[in-house]
Amino acid sequence: MTDMDSGTLITLVTIIGSTLGIVLGALTPAIVEGRAVLKALEGMTRQPEAAGDLRTTLLISMALLESTAIYVLLVILVLIFANPVIDRFFPGG
Amino acid sequence: MDRFFPQVVFSIFGIEVRDTVVSTWLMMMIVIALAIVIRRRRPTLLEMLLDFVVDLISDLLGGYRIERYLPFLGSLAVFVAFANILSILPTIPLPGGTMLPIVAPSRDINTPIALAVVVFFSVHYYGMRQQGVLGYLKNLASPIFLLPLEIVGQISRTVSLAIRLFGNVLSTELIVAVVFMLIPLIVPLPVIGLNLFTGLLQAYIFTALAAVYISTGLEEPGESGIEKAAQPDSAGSRPPDRAAPVDAGSVTPGRVR
Repeated sequence: MTDMDSGTLITLVTIIGSTLGIVLGALTPAIVEGRAVLKALEGMTRQPEAAGDLRTTLLISMALLESTAIYVLLVILVLIFANPVIDRFFPGG
Repeated sequence: MDRFFPQVVFSIFGIEVRDTVVSTWLMMMIVIALAIVIRRRRPTLLEMLLDFVVDLISDLLGGYRIERYLPFLGSLAVFVAFANILSILPTIPLPGGTMLPIVAPSRDINTPIALAVVVFFSVHYYGMRQQGVLGYLKNLASPIFLLPLEIVGQISRTVSLAIRLFGNVLSTELIVAVVFMLIPLIVPLPVIGLNLFTGLLQAYIFTALAAVYISTGLEEPGESGIEKAAQPDSAGSRPPDRAAPVDAGSVTPGRVR
């Protein structure tokens, strides 16, 4: 640990930050989507004749909710595969 | 892992052609051949597909003429569905020793961005066709101080439409690639099944969101979403007056939100 240069430090921080970020970014939409599904299921059991409309709305809103997790995933992919900070420290490498 | 991201296959006049573009050409040939063969042999399959798309669209675009938007939204659904699941095809060996990997076209971010830009322009095109150019612009800026918010909303939903498709397809294919690197035999099969399911679901969601965006562009005064939702509408059966032509001439400024 004594000969840790800045590139190693940046890589370490990137990996830890990506892990924490994907944990939080996957956990929050999962909880919120679970609540949405719960409410939609309650509505479907209460009114089975409205199940078709509820299903369409549920799928669309779940796609909208899930896009936040996708944003987190994209940021993390950029951090890992195309890190702009590492490129600044090691140009051309 | 660096082979996972799009690679340049060849270049014409300095324009680099990636493997996703070549896969898109192959996909177009497959879709056209499938359409011709199925139309000859089993026309009922095409009818089932058409009924599925019509049901989806008529739920979201209820009250408007479906057949005006069906060609665009239906071809969008077919294209996105095939583009998401194309990666189940194996690698094709080319003459000359090189291999042409067949990848899902929506794994390259350019394909979802192009689709989202097409949806963005089609929203305004259908809105102007429905309400007239001046009427549509007047409705777009009905409270004038909300115009910047409206513009930001249009751009951000286009970006999120592209990013959603790209991220979902990329993430499931990354999972398949990681599992395939660990255990290449039999074990990736359920994951590939999940990949197919996610791809088809994303095609459904992409089409549904495009229909929702188009219906917001078509929104006329006095026809707010609350009224539409309150209409008695049993799922599965379409009332016959759904296809009634909407009077395009009775447009007055001031949109009810």
